[in-house]
Amino acid sequence: MDEKASGFSLEMPKVGVIRGVKAKDVELVGGKVVNLRICARPYSNIYSVTQLRAIKTVSEQYGSGKVHLSPRHNFEIPEIRNKRIDDTLKLLYVAGLFPGGAGTSVRNIFTCPDWCSQSVLPTQEIGKMISTNFGDRDMPNKFTISFAGCVNGCSRPHNADVGIIAVGKVKVAKGNCADQCNKCVEVCPRQAIEKNGGKVLLKEKNCNFCGKCVKACPQNILTFASTGFKVMIGGKEGASVAFGSVIADFVKDFELLEIIENVLQKYQEKAKFRPASQKKKERLTEVIERLGLESFLAD
Amino acid sequence: MEQNGILPGRTEGKATIRVRSLEPHSAEFTSEQIGTIADIAERYGSGQVHVSARQTIEIADIERSAIKEVFVLLNGNGLYAGSSGHFMRNVMACSRWCLYNVFPLSDLARKLNNLYAEQKLPGKTDISLSGCGFSCTRSRTSDIGIIAQATIEVNADKCTECTLCVREPLGCQVEAITLSDHSVSVDGDRCIQCGYCTNVCKFSSLVLKGTSFAIFIGGSGGITPKEGLIWKSVASEQDVVDEIAGLLKCYSSVAQKGERIGSVIERLGLDSLTEVNHG
Repeated sequence: MDEKASGFSLEMPKVGVIRGVKAKDVELVGGKVVNLRICARPYSNIYSVTQLRAIKTVSEQYGSGKVHLSPRHNFEIPEIRNKRIDDTLKLLYVAGLFPGGAGTSVRNIFTCPDWCSQSVLPTQEIGKMISTNFGDRDMPNKFTISFAGCVNGCSRPHNADVGIIAVGKVKVAKGNCADQCNKCVEVCPRQAIEKNGGKVLLKEKNCNFCGKCVKACPQNILTFASTGFKVMIGGKEGASVAFGSVIADFVKDFELLEIIENVLQKYQEKAKFRPASQKKKERLTEVIERLGLESFLAD
Repeated sequence: MEQNGILPGRTEGKATIRVRSLEPHSAEFTSEQIGTIADIAERYGSGQVHVSARQTIEIADIERSAIKEVFVLLNGNGLYAGSSGHFMRNVMACSRWCLYNVFPLSDLARKLNNLYAEQKLPGKTDISLSGCGFSCTRSRTSDIGIIAQATIEVNADKCTECTLCVREPLGCQVEAITLSDHSVSVDGDRCIQCGYCTNVCKFSSLVLKGTSFAIFIGGSGGITPKEGLIWKSVASEQDVVDEIAGLLKCYSSVAQKGERIGSVIERLGLDSLTEVNHG
């Protein structure tokens, strides 16, 4: 089918068409089948019923009837015949899916869903903002952004190039707590809360801002004084592990985009080829290791 | 009642169901299963599903009264609700179509997932299987992480300098291979032991000598991120299954409630999880 005549633009980069072969003994160069890694929009982690059905159809018609879930919210449809790849992509585009999340680019944004009962702040809309602004942007090397709604960090923000965690500062209301429930003391993972008769005491030094006590409190004695986001950069996971360092704390949602944009630009400017390498540039953690966090963030 | 796989939702009376796959294996769904999940999300849920961080699919906003019906639909299709609480979580595994894995780990993933799917443990426990040192499934920050490793034999004299193993698109991903004067050498520090070069080499200069599994334990992500420690290196898939069985037995007997493997190691040392010490 002629691309222009069909009305669909296939100019999107095909970074998600990963070279894939069914088995190791199949012809290696120019494999006849490919694995297709797909990302969803507008939300990187949420798939609608329509999108699921599109994936089902594609895997049945052009693939082998199997799908693999990647560790970063992507679906992977294996064994798509190379000749049918354009038809496949057209079907997926209509449903709001496109190939991506591979190669040296910003990978699929790792985030949690709005309906989780643990999250301090709703994450979905901000996750959508991050993924529409930065998703699949070209980078010197693989770049991961993880966004977590609470310090439980299911989306592994500590091990991401940019990790964001929603945090909440807890405030204790004046007056005595009449309830005998003791729930706040039980849920606290850091022993930061003491209850003495009717008096609730918060040891701020121990608090990790997870907000579990606020959610547990039936009396509104414990509430959030302020909420915001903690931003960490320079983590990674995989062939080696690095944990990110905090560059900002309690920032507001609208400030996040500017912070991330700044980090991405600094990284693009400052990344060099790895020692004794002509092909691969450094990951963010290597740049920070070479320059130090302060001079990386400085102009 | 908090049952495995049913997560509390934000809306009163509604829950999120976390779905994991028994067949084909823990990280893989068939197109019929995807269809079933789509039908459930449309009929009982809000029409949206979330793909979780551990290769499960979460169907949101299901009426608590409809949960039984949903379970019947799931169970008929090789799916079931699980992977929450102090249970063995979904076994993470990499794609069996990936070029770089030493060999597909889907059989091992299915075996482990079926063995421990409903096992109650002292704390949250997750197993991650990686087919190569890139460890996409985050084996190094899992309670139990398995990484398949290839031993490569270098026959430098057979090399014809065809450059297939060093140049794009099939060349070594970590640039561990150097070619010089009709011979080839592999930098052991850089090599991640994926063994891909042995598939690429057409002149038996780089040959796959054997495979093994490295077992990492005690890592965790989330609230207290920790890097796992290398525990053992074993030869076969069956050895991995046996070692994990032994480890979980020791872990169940020494751990306090809610304590994960990493915390046990911090409190009692690595030896406390070795079977010898428990007769």
